[in-house]
Amino acid sequence: MKSRVLVVTSGKGGVGKTTTTANLGTALAMMGKKVVLLDTDIGLRNLDVVMGLENRIVFDIVDVVNAKCKLKQALIRDKRFDGLCLLPAAQTKDKSAVTPHQMKNLTNELRSDYDYILVDCPAGIEQGFRNAIAGADNAIVVATPEVSSVRDADRIVGLLEAAGLNKSRLIINRLRSKMVKRGDMMNIEDIIDILSIDLLGVVPEDEVIVISTNRGEPAVMDNTSRAGAAYRRIARRITGEDVPMFTLDDTNNFLDRFKKLLKLAK
Amino acid sequence: MAAVIKSKEGKMEINMQSCNTFAEMKDQLNAQLKSVGDFWLGGTVSIDTGYQVLSNKQLEEIQSILSRHGLNLQSNNSIVSKELTDSDNEISPFEQLPFYEDTMLICKSLRSGQRIVAEGNVVILGDVNPGAEIIAGGNIIIMGSLRGMVHAGAYGDDTALVSAYRLNPTQLRIGSHITRSPDGELIMIECPELARIRGGKVCIEKLKI
Ligand SMILES: Nc1ncnc2c1ncn2[C@@H]1O[C@H](COP(=O)(O)OP(=O)(O)OP(=O)(O)O)[C@@H](O)[C@H]1O
Ligand SMILES: [Mg+2]
Repeated sequence: MKSRVLVVTSGKGGVGKTTTTANLGTALAMMGKKVVLLDTDIGLRNLDVVMGLENRIVFDIVDVVNAKCKLKQALIRDKRFDGLCLLPAAQTKDKSAVTPHQMKNLTNELRSDYDYILVDCPAGIEQGFRNAIAGADNAIVVATPEVSSVRDADRIVGLLEAAGLNKSRLIINRLRSKMVKRGDMMNIEDIIDILSIDLLGVVPEDEVIVISTNRGEPAVMDNTSRAGAAYRRIARRITGEDVPMFTLDDTNNFLDRFKKLLKLAK
Repeated sequence: MAAVIKSKEGKMEINMQSCNTFAEMKDQLNAQLKSVGDFWLGGTVSIDTGYQVLSNKQLEEIQSILSRHGLNLQSNNSIVSKELTDSDNEISPFEQLPFYEDTMLICKSLRSGQRIVAEGNVVILGDVNPGAEIIAGGNIIIMGSLRGMVHAGAYGDDTALVSAYRLNPTQLRIGSHITRSPDGELIMIECPELARIRGGKVCIEKLKI
């Protein structure tokens, strides 16, 4: 199959880019795809920690672009899944240590060996962002149901469009259905109304994410995790499968659905 | 196309309905007045601009051209279009739009951080999201939701107008006036609306076309 470079980005920090990259990458690898995860958050690397691969780092992305080592030497193979690799960020350099041009060459080199190249983008709209999107075919925009996160996501979608990436898709992360139902949180329709891009999926707020992040085992490996299940479904959508969306499924009981059918509830 | 000068009850009337831009109007006016020489010296003139309504600034420019030829503009209200003098209150507000030569047409939504600055009118075929800005010398028309900041008549025209399919701006400015959406609970009005200055205040009204 034709390989795809997907950048995971958000504008605002701490909304779940790294969590999303780790989980989608792992889920795609669990489906038998060949996947490489690229951490472009130079200076604040942590995709390796979330993946539980920190202790195996020898070379990093800056070493690769500066030809201090071969690309193959820097790639860390995930012991749990065949075909899953990580190229870690450098911790002791800053974002200008890599240029967009170098990033483009790097992703192009990876295309021949992998089905999916997932790029974990740093927060912000400066050089780190420009590096991360340089080689991408498409973007996955992560936002939480908060006004400030949606505002930043909107800015990012505009910048992506200006860079020629016109088919960005949205993941809404950390949705708390109880709060949405009470009207205390932005609901999905409001967010999509503003961003007007396709929804790729909704990931609920889930404690398992925190636990699994600390353990270095992405939540998609845990069958009891609701967020993990959501990420597995999103991964299937990425491969082109038509997986229906249920969003507020846990609280959406029969009576609610029946009312909705009769258009009594909104 | 040429402006037509004719005499009506001893007064001079210049028909400029065929002019497409304000610049053309001025050119025509200059040319025509030169051709009549000083025959009308000291007289009054009425001007028919058809659908094009002039802003105060533009009226001043017309007046100064006329003065140079020793003529007076009869009065401001002689420059309104025929349709408007029919003393009909239900006329579309778009027929009273102050006239600007240039219109910038944008066929996409404006997202946060994007900013449009234009001398004349701005028409958006899309939404204007929170964090986006439009600064226009003339009128602003949005064929989607306005949620960002807009400034119409930004170079001092209080007659400029803002209209949107859904009008929920973070802040709205017309000429020297500023309003913002009320704090707290958002009241969603599900119809196209229009903002303009009336009695020194920004007024929002339902758009009737
Ligand atoms: N669905 C979720 N449920 C609960 N906690 C979550 C969820 N998603 C992310 N988090 C937590 O939010 C925090 C930030 O997540 P993450 O590091 O993935 O964000 P980021 O966008 O990569 O941040 P940065 O901008 O700093 O790179 C982490 O502590 C993570 O465990
Ligand atoms: Mg991160």
